[in-house]
Amino acid sequence: MKNNRKTFVRAIITYAALVACAVVLILPFLWVLSTSVKGDQQIFTIPPQFIPEKIHWENYIEVFKRMPFLTYFLNSSFITIITIIGVVLSSSLVAYAFACLHWPGRDGVFVLVLATMMLPMQVTMIPIFVFFKELGWLNTFKPLTIPAFFGGGAFNIFVLRQFFLTVPQSLLDAARIDGCSEFRIYWNIVLPLAKPALATVAILTFLFSWNDFLGPLIYLSDQIKGTLALGLAIFTGQHQTEWGLLMAASVMMMAPIIIIFFFFQRYFIQAFMASGIKG
Amino acid sequence: MLKNLLKKAAFSFLTIVTFWFLFGYSPSKKIPDDGKKHIQLWIITGQKEEIPYSVRMFNTVQDSIVIDLTAIPWQEHEKKILTAILSGNPPDLVSQFIPVAQWAARLALTPIDDFIQTDQFDTTVFFPALWQEMKWKGQTFALPWKTASYAFFYNNGLFKEAGLDPSKPPKTWSDVIEYSKKLVRRDEQGRLEQMGFIADYGVLPGHGDMPTSILIAWQLGAQFLSADGSKVSITNAATVKGLEWVVNFNRSYDTKELSAFISGFGYAEQHAFLSNKVAMMCLQNTFIEHINLYRPNMDYTVCPIPSFEGSTTVSSSGSWWLGIPRGARHSKSAWEFMKFAVGEKTQIEESLEMEEPLFPANHLAANDPAFIKDEKTRVFVKQMELSHSPAVVPLTHGVFWREYTMARERAVRGLQTPLEALEQAEKQVQLELDKAVRYDNYVRREIRFESRSNNFSN
Amino acid sequence: MLNPISQTLKSPLRKKQASLALLFLSPWIIGFIVFGIYPMVMSFYYSLCRYDVLRIPQFIGWLNYQELIFDDPYFWQSIWNTLYFTAFRTPLSIIGSLLLAVLVNSALRGMRIFRTIYFVPSIVTGVALSVLWMWMLNPQYGLVNNALAFFGIPGPLWLQSPDWSKPAMVLMNLWSIGGGRMLVFLAALQSIPNSLYESVDIDGGGWWHKFYYITIPMLSPVIFLWTILDVIFSLQVFTEAYVMTKGGPLNSTLFYNLYLYFKAFDDYSMGYASAMAWILLIITLLITLIQFRLGKRWVHYN
Repeated sequence: MKNNRKTFVRAIITYAALVACAVVLILPFLWVLSTSVKGDQQIFTIPPQFIPEKIHWENYIEVFKRMPFLTYFLNSSFITIITIIGVVLSSSLVAYAFACLHWPGRDGVFVLVLATMMLPMQVTMIPIFVFFKELGWLNTFKPLTIPAFFGGGAFNIFVLRQFFLTVPQSLLDAARIDGCSEFRIYWNIVLPLAKPALATVAILTFLFSWNDFLGPLIYLSDQIKGTLALGLAIFTGQHQTEWGLLMAASVMMMAPIIIIFFFFQRYFIQAFMASGIKG
Repeated sequence: MLKNLLKKAAFSFLTIVTFWFLFGYSPSKKIPDDGKKHIQLWIITGQKEEIPYSVRMFNTVQDSIVIDLTAIPWQEHEKKILTAILSGNPPDLVSQFIPVAQWAARLALTPIDDFIQTDQFDTTVFFPALWQEMKWKGQTFALPWKTASYAFFYNNGLFKEAGLDPSKPPKTWSDVIEYSKKLVRRDEQGRLEQMGFIADYGVLPGHGDMPTSILIAWQLGAQFLSADGSKVSITNAATVKGLEWVVNFNRSYDTKELSAFISGFGYAEQHAFLSNKVAMMCLQNTFIEHINLYRPNMDYTVCPIPSFEGSTTVSSSGSWWLGIPRGARHSKSAWEFMKFAVGEKTQIEESLEMEEPLFPANHLAANDPAFIKDEKTRVFVKQMELSHSPAVVPLTHGVFWREYTMARERAVRGLQTPLEALEQAEKQVQLELDKAVRYDNYVRREIRFESRSNNFSN
Repeated sequence: MLNPISQTLKSPLRKKQASLALLFLSPWIIGFIVFGIYPMVMSFYYSLCRYDVLRIPQFIGWLNYQELIFDDPYFWQSIWNTLYFTAFRTPLSIIGSLLLAVLVNSALRGMRIFRTIYFVPSIVTGVALSVLWMWMLNPQYGLVNNALAFFGIPGPLWLQSPDWSKPAMVLMNLWSIGGGRMLVFLAALQSIPNSLYESVDIDGGGWWHKFYYITIPMLSPVIFLWTILDVIFSLQVFTEAYVMTKGGPLNSTLFYNLYLYFKAFDDYSMGYASAMAWILLIITLLITLIQFRLGKRWVHYN
């Protein structure tokens, strides 16, 4: 009896905390939503209105008129999907080598990997741009997608390495004794265990690639190759910004991410694996 | 067994297809093969995306050259142009507004003196300040295309409320102080509700207007750069006086209440001038678009910027210019368009048609009655005749304005006297200018050396 | 650490692993050299030159570094601003994400919705986000000060005050605590076996004991990871300051990376900016190595 009451009270407190945090955190997004249906004159009124008097649904239609939304959407999707595949595959391979294999100089090289994250991109973008120019990859999707297959970035390697390190070495060694090849250990044992980490890397890569503005800006010259992030920039001018349209376009850009996240959440939940060894 | 094989085959096939897409796929656009020269023009998107009148007309009045227009976004446009030049395959024409010298000094533009000579192009048609900006080390690099200028705005309604006559604009800065005193209002708790004039309203990014202190400095004859371009002068008497005037003006208010008041300024209809918070301001003609959008029925007057007894009014005009990037393939055709675009008739028609309230750089066009439709436009055009370009220290443009803005802030907040603040700014800018000049000399020497050694090898 | 099974797998297997590692890593090695090492080497070379991207570089040795350290007041100010920001943002973000993760880890219904709601703010990015916050932080009519006024607290001038501008930036950054970080913590929380918690119950411990003796140690690798990552990113803070304040007021938000950007793309002193980048790299590396050292003491792996 007493336990039930205790559980009930705890549930109430938990829900209260959840709701309080939710209200606070979601506020900016609600403002984005509400601004997306406002006309230019209603956006900065005092006091701020969350529900505008007149709802301008036509903002969303206007966005389609002002930029080739479908083309940009397809381009963004193509680039992002390929990038996610590349990143997940290559960064997990590399992380495996850093976490589950032992070789001389391993940790030293890892520090070098970390170091690549520490140099601001403002100074690396020019040498990299010149490099792509020499390769003749300018004005194509290649600079935006192919690097993903060559390591996937220090950040992703780091995240996955930390996760792989939590896989007990004994488990791996047992598999090796059984005659498993390293690749099979990687593919059949470690990867499935790391689903939450892989899902996280996938979602973060999605975010990064989908919202990437500077990359497409400097590598893509033809309008037909543009991405959504570039399209958004149409609404920000030198002196004025068309807030209603910008927010409408932003909402449409964010929608896929939210939807995908909502439905793929189960990958973040992982039942505890009964390995038998830990006991 | 077979199933396994099939699986492996399917997997390999998928992999190959993926890689093919990866390496081979990009949507592409075909340039129509119509025997005409196609040249690329990049302009930065204005408020609305429209094809400029001049581009449309040019494509129709002649049929050997076609302009392919690309509108690039405002955000990071400099990087895009920079990387395009770096790629060796830049557009044939570019429209920009940061000082020409910044691009020209870095060898990013093609000089157009030969074109001007050959075609006997009349360069006196431009406003003098704009034309000056096009030159660097004796060569010309661009043609001014559009511009904007500053004037003095005041709120008729608030004038009337304060007992001032809206038909009598303030002519001197002393008038401004006098009028201001009458235009101050406070609420029941004694907090500022309304001010007469605000000198430097550039706190919010994107609202960085030309500081009044610089306008005053120009009126008093400030020269920021020595004739040979090697010494910068920010502590000259005129500049110091300009800053002192602003600091003293702000002193008549309490610092805290002023900060609190300014912090309530915002965007759109919350702009201080539109929300009746400040009665008089120095603003650009592009601000009129703002007024028409957010408060179309506002009753206001535009007049020349006040000055001191014995000195004339002044304004600030930056220019949007047209230039040919280094490495462009069709520079002659690009030049043809440039001439066309700055022609008097084209400029008038374009200004009338476009929604951007920018002025023609061609002063014949700007003074044409067809263009000057109302009193306000007349005032702005007159101001442009007397304007200065903000590119006062072209080689270190960014540094100069950052340092000046910081110095102004320090002086206005009372952390330093105007002279001290400007001295610090001058020291920093001079340091950077020295570095820039030395590097510039180095590059020139190397280029001359290279071309000489190439001659030898020939 | 090494269990009996591993003991028997010493030399030959390790050698095999080494060569296999090379195989696993080979495409990455190419990529690393091209996208990692090459730009680093080039930027180091540029840091020893005067260079404006469009013209040839002029070799000047250590002059850039000298000027930075001895002649540049903004260099020191930006370092201070950045360290201040990092010192506040990292702990607050980590703790915030951790607490949120614990909250959404409960077995109650509707967690999917809450997780999504918490995640969403972290995907609103770029100009839209910064401008939104500028508006929310407006001292007169912004949401933040109005909310404070509701509790009777007079709000400061936030982005327009030299003292409150950095706290404003930290505050703004806290809205992303429900993002990737929280997800990783959540995943780690999910993998803590219930048996461990049950043993605390048996011993008569409360939720505090569970949290302190089970949750935190089990999560320590992940907390460790994110602390390091968060520091690296905080030290490179840029976008917020670029859009909202451009470094002001009075250079209070002149962060290191922002100043670097001004030098690289406003002044086109790419050499100078590269020197700045390398100094940042060294500082970050030092801080990270210190964290690794300290990490050996409190991080528990399996």
